[in-house]
Amino acid sequence: MSALRYFRDAAVFAPCYLMLDWASYIVPLGPFNITPWNPQPALAIVWMLLGGLQHFPVVAATLFAADLLLRGAPAGYALTVLTAVILSAAYAAIAWSLRLSPRFDAGLRTTRDLTLFFALALAGTALGGAVFVGVLASAEPAFAGGYLEAWLRFWTGDAVGVMVTAPLLLVVADRERRHELGVLFRRAEAWVQMAVLAALLWLIFTGLPGDPALHFYLLFIPLIWIALRGGMAGAVVAAGAVQIGVVIGMHHLGVDWLPAVELQALVAALTLTGLFLGTITDERRRAAQDLRQSLRLAAAGEMAGAIAHEVNQPLTALSNYGQSALALLARPGEAHRVPAVVGKMLGEAERAADVVRRLRDFFRAGTTRLEDLPTYELEAMLRQVARQVIGPRPVELALSLDGGLPALYVDRLQIELVLRNLLANATEALGGGGRIRVSAARHGEDRLRLVVEDDGPGISAEARERVFEPFVSGKPTGMGLGLAISRAIAEAHGGSLEARSGVHGEFHLVLPCSRAS
Amino acid sequence: MQPGELTVFIVDDDASVRDSLALMLGLAGYRTTLFADAEALLLAWRPAWSGCVIADLRLPGRSGVELQAELRKRGSSLPVVIITAHGDVPTARAAFRAEAVDFLEKPFDHAQLREAIEKAFAREQRRIGLAQERAADAARLAALTPREREVLEHAARGLHAKEIAAVLGISPRTVEVHKTRIMEKLGVRNVAELVRFAIAAGGG
Repeated sequence: MSALRYFRDAAVFAPCYLMLDWASYIVPLGPFNITPWNPQPALAIVWMLLGGLQHFPVVAATLFAADLLLRGAPAGYALTVLTAVILSAAYAAIAWSLRLSPRFDAGLRTTRDLTLFFALALAGTALGGAVFVGVLASAEPAFAGGYLEAWLRFWTGDAVGVMVTAPLLLVVADRERRHELGVLFRRAEAWVQMAVLAALLWLIFTGLPGDPALHFYLLFIPLIWIALRGGMAGAVVAAGAVQIGVVIGMHHLGVDWLPAVELQALVAALTLTGLFLGTITDERRRAAQDLRQSLRLAAAGEMAGAIAHEVNQPLTALSNYGQSALALLARPGEAHRVPAVVGKMLGEAERAADVVRRLRDFFRAGTTRLEDLPTYELEAMLRQVARQVIGPRPVELALSLDGGLPALYVDRLQIELVLRNLLANATEALGGGGRIRVSAARHGEDRLRLVVEDDGPGISAEARERVFEPFVSGKPTGMGLGLAISRAIAEAHGGSLEARSGVHGEFHLVLPCSRAS
Repeated sequence: MQPGELTVFIVDDDASVRDSLALMLGLAGYRTTLFADAEALLLAWRPAWSGCVIADLRLPGRSGVELQAELRKRGSSLPVVIITAHGDVPTARAAFRAEAVDFLEKPFDHAQLREAIEKAFAREQRRIGLAQERAADAARLAALTPREREVLEHAARGLHAKEIAAVLGISPRTVEVHKTRIMEKLGVRNVAELVRFAIAAGGG
């Protein structure tokens, strides 16, 4: 790092630190001005965590300057220099151990990151506070009696300050998180949530009679709401807003030290709850996204397999015809047969091209080439798929599709895959043999409901949803992806696929109808 | 049976694949017969059929491998070449376990297909040749008188003319006459060949 950049960073850090220290310098206690909440250590820790330990001298100097400028260094210059170094060292130790922790992400993306951060912050501030208060107590005999209490209070102030403020700073410092914040606050919901939070804060400090701490629990409601909807980004902002509200409230009410500490402890509890909930929400959302992604890939893989087969058939014919054309050309008097063969080759090339187009469409649009699938074609498709799936087994297929039903508006290849999965499933459920019934009926204005039933044992209510989970399979072979993919395809069409529990196997597939009908 | 009578039986549910294969193999000098699925072939099947089956792995109804199994069950040893547009390993393994001649992925290399057909035909010709030999042997054996067959049996066990004469209660000279007649009827030139023939006839 160049010297210029180093001093530029220092010129940003020092005023920010002083401002935070000044803003939080409320209800100081005792001769050494222990305050109930200290956000500025959070800035120091985050600064060294993200920027590196070379900022340590700047941090120590700023701590000294803050004590001198804001409080007039009540303990004397020498002691102030010593305590500034002690506290800076404690913050540096927190930052250093976090930097050393393997897989720690300063964007606080997992509960592990969050736990590690809180644990090290708590330990570091406890240790730093112990040394700090110890040094002060040894210098000021009048203060020595209340050592334990003073340490606890100092620790509370620092720990709460770090726990509430550092995540906010880390989120703001993270590019991806900033983007999340931007997305979050473009939604009206986030503003409504913040308004509710502000209104509650106002109510707690001015509207409701009695100690604000009594009604503090009310804040958990909007906080949980925000964390569940907005994840970590929302929770961090909400926790910050609560902290600012509490500070303003304390100023406004002119609360004493003890209620202030109580309030800070509540803020800490609130913050911890919100941040963990937010992180868990994020983690769950990420897991769901990963699953969707892998499902999409699996669906694409199945599609690709089906399509490879579809492409290989015309390619085989094409190559056979080509070989034949060559053989005809090599024979005297047979050349007149070549144009007919070449005509067939062109037909096969077109057939292959059509399949490739479909494949490209699938990957490009995420779905689908939607087209009308009239009932009679659906019936033919069902029969053909059933023939392939059932094979020589003694399974009877009973179709009851009313000719008057409107055409489906679907991607043929994908729906064929769904029907194949459903019929294969039903055939397997039958074991030896039996009957599969497929019926169709209107479902609302613009949908059809296809019901596939089999005489098999059916599925229990508990297994009803589980069959759609990927990698859950009743079969020893197969990945158990079939139904999951089928549901994904049905949903991509704006339809649905459900299993009914009962004595017989029963699946309900809802698909959109053609717009023309 | 002449090699020219060997037929390639094509089983594929894709009409274009079927048609193009028939055209190509026909131009290469093979006689072909086409079926859309395994059931159609099994319905038309005759024990006298010889040649080779080219069957798609995935067919409506019985698969190519299942078709092969059914043919074996019916006593047919028609060689089968499996072709598939999905080159999946488990089915390929199943095909080999069922002793398919070859397993070709569509679109296949024509030289490979020809090679597979030739391999199947060679196997058929060996089988047909053996069957013909055996049939001829049986016919020749049938021409022997009961006494001659007795003499042959003992000769096959390695007995000399004197020993055979003692067992049968006839003169060694008569045994020698029988032996000469047997060798004439069976078309063998010496006793060693006679013994070999007798063993083959006894074993088969």
